[in-house]
Order: sequence, then structure tokens, then C-alpha cells
Amino acid sequence: MSIPLNAYLLVGAILFSLGTLGVLMRRSVLIVFISIELMLQGVNLTFAAYGAFLEDMAGSMFVVISLTVAAAEAAVGLAILVALGRRVTEFYVDRLDTLRW
Amino acid sequence: MPAYVGVVILALLGFAFCAGSLVGAWLLRPRRPVGAKLDPYESGVPPIGDAKGRHVVRFYLVAMLFVVFDVELVFLYPWAVHYAEQGVFSDRLFLFGEMLVFVAILLVAYAYAFKKGVFEWNRGD
Amino acid sequence: MTDQIVAFTYLSIVASVAGLATILVRSPVHSALSLVVVVFHVAGMFVLLGNGFLAAVQVIVYAGAIVVLFLFTMMLLDLRRHETERTVHRRQIWLAIPIAVLLFAEVAWIAISKPEISENLKGAFPPQTIDELGGSAQALATVMFTDYLLPFEVASVLLLAAAIGAMVLARNPDEESLASPPDMIEDAAGTDGSSDQPEGELSETPATHG
Repeated sequence: MSIPLNAYLLVGAILFSLGTLGVLMRRSVLIVFISIELMLQGVNLTFAAYGAFLEDMAGSMFVVISLTVAAAEAAVGLAILVALGRRVTEFYVDRLDTLRW
Repeated sequence: MPAYVGVVILALLGFAFCAGSLVGAWLLRPRRPVGAKLDPYESGVPPIGDAKGRHVVRFYLVAMLFVVFDVELVFLYPWAVHYAEQGVFSDRLFLFGEMLVFVAILLVAYAYAFKKGVFEWNRGD
Repeated sequence: MTDQIVAFTYLSIVASVAGLATILVRSPVHSALSLVVVVFHVAGMFVLLGNGFLAAVQVIVYAGAIVVLFLFTMMLLDLRRHETERTVHRRQIWLAIPIAVLLFAEVAWIAISKPEISENLKGAFPPQTIDELGGSAQALATVMFTDYLLPFEVASVLLLAAAIGAMVLARNPDEESLASPPDMIEDAAGTDGSSDQPEGELSETPATHG
């Protein structure tokens, strides 16, 4: 435990912000999805770091649950993409706007 | 931390093996590229199109089921090490029942996939 | 203790650079592979935190399953256009970068100026207790099957919902018996060129069965 908690939180913040940037700026739906996974990595790191420094197993439990949610989200989200892939040939967030407005 | 030295050594050996094989093959092999030698599978079926076209959805379904049961494993592993340490019979029974409920719920997904024919690869032939 | 500092410096720098690569590279496949690098280095940080179980789970589930699912999806979709078109949202990027920088400043400020962890906040699992229990997996199990029993069971319902939902969404409703081998790979000519031509479901030639 020679590394301070702040260092872990900072890395978590970096990963989370990079994920946010990816979600906001990329056009490809797949990369937006991958950026969401990147955000979850930052969140998991923060959970695990707090769990270790607070000497509580709740941090680990939260990471395991968040992992389950990530897997469920990836399975359903990518299934939507697969279903979409039958109708369109381009996967850009600014083109897939049929349901907008 | 010393317990993880083995993991680091294994990772380094893995990288060294990959790099060593590639560099070794590159240094030793003769270079005389002719058409048929550059095919993805030499002496195989000629490829049609490229690998970036669309493939059948069944691959996705199998991968998705793999993810779901992989996450189940994450819960099974702590359960197994915990179960092995329980001495009292009623504790064991309780833990067993908990896991039985968990597995039974996930078995519904498996049964659904089975009924919908996700695992049948050659139907229609 | 300096070995920990060296390890942490390496892990954090590589994780951040790979995270940057994840959102900047053109190809979705390369992006997913960069995410694998991030996942491995975050797993290394879990080891530094003394949580070997989470590190293993991270590698098995994220690198081994979720990223594989992403790569399978990329195989299913026709992504040839993604190699040539522009990759960033031109209108949104001017707002995206300030928002991300602002978010980072905010979170980093909290991370650096966090309150001290006082002794009375600490839980029942100091490193010695975890060692006595035999490791982080055992320690996690002691809470998972007592305090967090309901979340544990609800997780299975979540996975069930995800699995059935994904199967319902991804299967082609018109092809009850799934596609037959001949249309495993659609030819290259059929998919480019035409814009939003509906494929599979509405096409005149459904999959033929033996």
C-alpha cells in the first residue's frame, strides 16, 4: 500500500474522461461502445481502489456486479447492432437518426 | 507481491516465444513469393471476397452465450472455494441451495437457446 | 517498496496511453485490441491493490469474453466503409473536448483533494484478514453469500434477461432455422454501393434449406 489512493483515483479519472471523450467525439457506433467499456474500466479501478483502502470487500463486490452489468450491456447492445446490420451498411451515430425528432 | 513474479515470467516467456518464432521464421525462410504461396491457405480452397464481409449471426449467438456463462464462472469460483471450507452441514446445504437457484435461473437461458436451435449448426442441410 | 512505485508508474502510463489509442485509432478492431491492453494493465493495478481475484476476473471476463464479443460483432457487420470515412463527429468535437477536459478537471480535483480515510471508516477486511482467509476470492465469498446474497441472485436474473434479449434481437425472425451455409459469407459485390438496401429479412431470396 505504498501507492497513495489519489494515484489510483487519478488513473481512474483519466480512463473515465478518455471514455467520455470517445463517446462524444467518435462517429462509429462500435467505438462508442468500446469507449463505454473504457469508462467502466475507470469506474472499476476506482471501486477496487476504494475497497482496498477502506479495507472492505464491498469494493470487490461492486466490481463483480459492474462486470456483470457490463457483460449484459455488451450482449444486448451488440445484439441491437447485429439486428441493425441487416438493414443498414453504415454504423455512424450521425446517420442512424431515423428515430430522432 | 512475490507470488505474481511467476505470472510476469510467464507473460514474458509468452511474448518471447511469439517474437522468437516470428523473427526466427523470418530469418530462416527463403523469400520467393509466387501467387499461390501468398494465398491465406496454401493448397486450399481459393478465397472468395475478403474476410471483411458479413458472416452468419450464429457466431454472435455462441459468443454471447459464452460471455454469459463466463460471467457465471466469476460467481462460481468464490462459491467453490467458500463451499470447500464450510464444516457445518446446514451451512453447506444453504450455500448449495443458493448456487442451485443461481444456476437454475441461468439454465433457463440455456434451455431457451437450445429450444431455439442456437446450437444446431447443420439444420437445413 | 520502490518496485511497487515502478510497477504502478508503468501500469498507469501504459493504461492511459492505450486508453488514448482506444478512442483515437481509426479501425474498430484496433480500438478493441487497445482496450485489451487497458484491461490487462488495470488488472495489474488490481494486483497492486492486493486483489488477485479481481485481476483474474478482469482478464477472464473483459479480455477473454467481452472483447471477443466485440470482435465477433465486427466480423458480423460490414465495416469496410469505416476504413475510409472520417472518424470524428465534426460538429460535436468542439463541444466534446471541452466537456471531457472539464469532466477530467473535476474528477481529478476530487481525486487529488479527497478526504483522509479515517480509521473508523475502515471495514472488516484489512490485508492480514484477507491473508488469513486464504486470499481475495475467499474474502469476497464471505460477503457475497451473506451480505450481498440478493445482488448475487439478481445478477443471475440480469444475465438471463441479457441472454434471452440478445437472442431475440439478434436472430432473424424470418429465418426460423437460421441461415444455411451458402449465405455464410455474402459476396463483396452485394453489400457496397447500394445505400440503405434492407438485407436478409426483406430480400426476395430467403435462405434456402436443403
